[in-house]
Amino acid sequence: MKKPLSILLASTLLATSISAMAETKVGFVYVGPKSDYGYNYAQDQGRLYLEEHLEDVETLYFENIPENADVQRVMERMIRSGVEIVFPTSYGYLDHALKVAEKYPDVHFAHSGGLKTSDNLMTYFAEIDQAMYLAGIAAGMTTETNKLGFIAAHPIPQVLRNINAFTRGARSVNPEVTTSVIWTSGWSDPSKESEAAEALIDNGADVLTGHVDSPINYVQVAEERGVYSVGYHADASKFAPEGWLVGAVWNWGPMMVDIVESVEDGTWESQHLRGDLLTGAAQLSDFGSAVSDDTIAEVEERRQMIMDEEYQVWAGPITGQDGKVIVAEGDTMTLQETEKMDFLVEGVEGRLP
Amino acid sequence: MEMIIIEVLSLLFAALRSATPVLAVVLGEIMTQRSGVINLGVEGQMLMGAMTGFAVTAITGDPWLGVVAACGAGILLSLVHVVLVLGCGANQIASGIAVMILGGGLSAYYGIPFVGEKINSFDSFGGSGIGSIPLIGRFLGATTPTVLLTLISIPVISLFLYRTRSGLHWRSVGESSEITRNLGHSPVPYQFAAIVFGGLMSGFAGAALAVDYTSNWVEHMTAGRGLVAVGLVIVARWNPWYALPAALLFGVSEALNLRLQSWGVDVSQYLLATLPYLIPLVVLMLSFRGLKAGGGGMPMGLKAVFTNS
Repeated sequence: MKKPLSILLASTLLATSISAMAETKVGFVYVGPKSDYGYNYAQDQGRLYLEEHLEDVETLYFENIPENADVQRVMERMIRSGVEIVFPTSYGYLDHALKVAEKYPDVHFAHSGGLKTSDNLMTYFAEIDQAMYLAGIAAGMTTETNKLGFIAAHPIPQVLRNINAFTRGARSVNPEVTTSVIWTSGWSDPSKESEAAEALIDNGADVLTGHVDSPINYVQVAEERGVYSVGYHADASKFAPEGWLVGAVWNWGPMMVDIVESVEDGTWESQHLRGDLLTGAAQLSDFGSAVSDDTIAEVEERRQMIMDEEYQVWAGPITGQDGKVIVAEGDTMTLQETEKMDFLVEGVEGRLP
Repeated sequence: MEMIIIEVLSLLFAALRSATPVLAVVLGEIMTQRSGVINLGVEGQMLMGAMTGFAVTAITGDPWLGVVAACGAGILLSLVHVVLVLGCGANQIASGIAVMILGGGLSAYYGIPFVGEKINSFDSFGGSGIGSIPLIGRFLGATTPTVLLTLISIPVISLFLYRTRSGLHWRSVGESSEITRNLGHSPVPYQFAAIVFGGLMSGFAGAALAVDYTSNWVEHMTAGRGLVAVGLVIVARWNPWYALPAALLFGVSEALNLRLQSWGVDVSQYLLATLPYLIPLVVLMLSFRGLKAGGGGMPMGLKAVFTNS
């Protein structure tokens, strides 16, 4: 029901944002509003960075495009208007992007988070679970009830990675910790997210985090109820001056610049480009005042170990919820394995639907 | 034992919190339908209310101004339904859907600058001494003004509808505008007031959601609650007193969906997520027999909407 209007608006933007002077036109497609203060906001910050740092680049974008055949039409329309590089930024766009890529072999595509490529389609993503692991350490050292709460949208691999990384981080410093998960079955439903946060706190959780579109709701409820919060996607510290611990945030700009430059100078290749804490595509936000100096020191030390590749988040032993060993000691999960994650680790309460 | 009482109380108050915006819409829509007009646009009116309430609160810093502005926004959008239905004689269902889409689009567009804003919301009643009442004090203390206002509006609406002359006319318009006309009254002012009152209540519901309950604005944040409310009007049998249990039915199911998960009950989240829709549906089906026999309290004027419009 919101489509006609958004397409109308987007086409006016399209008309105004393309100028004939630009050498490279780059198009972005977002699944939600770019102002969602979450996932799409972070992608759009990357687009703005791109505009700021490459003078010969013009960008345009479409918001609120559903993950169905609509996105194919949107991409084709962009291409017909001269776009040479397309960023389909949502997980569910992958198969549609592959179809359009086949039809337009001269256009380059960079899909966010997928695991398939073609001659002119690459993927990019960042291992933000490293930052969630570190945030988990802060949560594990701060909690007094040893109960953490996680508000999750859908059980896709990206979400499971964050739940598991957060829990493993917390249990690495405090083995007593458990994480309760509540599924909201939607990326953005403020009322449900607030109520889920209330339920977790009523049940004893004193650090909340989550993986839904925007961290605002659970961070606000946590602050109101006087418990701690860990953000995700975007820095929400202003919503919780007392209880904010730290957050895992994206920084897509430099990666997007690299991709566009590689197309311009002909070094582009079809690949799975993955950033992490080291490349800066995934980051830990600033710490809140509620975090003790000891905790900060511990997190910083572990961050250095991850950056120096002395420690990996998905190195064994990894035990599942049922106590069975999933990854043996000495083994490490590969990129493909982590991006297809389908289990919850020991210490997570709540089941996979 | 005390643990269980606290659990049940916290579930009930959680249900009341999630039910409040829905309850306000149900009450407004009952009044609208009691005049023989159905308005599916409440979903859009709720969104306009939510966006306007949030925006005004963000700009002025006063949540009361936000609530007032939200009611105004709901009324303004409901005037579209007034013009289409009363002015042009348009199909009520089609007009309602138009209002719903309009409200969704306008609120999404004008709400963009306010996403990610932090607002000062209402204080809960916890500071006023209520919080120190044993057992229920902490729950009563956590309730907020919009919950109370919505609850107070139930007896007010009932008094008006069943105990005043205007209320009698209002209901008779809903039963048959023909007879009302023959008695020398025009149905139009009543239907006008009914649609506008529905606009006010749904705008208020939007504010209850965005300003009070979540203190957040996200486009399409009502997620179908306005339409659920239209369905709950049937469950409530067009009676303002029954609106409370009907809306609580939705609230309890939504709270239960989330709380069962936090208690670690082993049921699929997808099944749990259907609870807020499934339970009212089951109640509706169970009461269907009664509905058929006694008309279920449906204003007879509404029949025209479904049969020959």
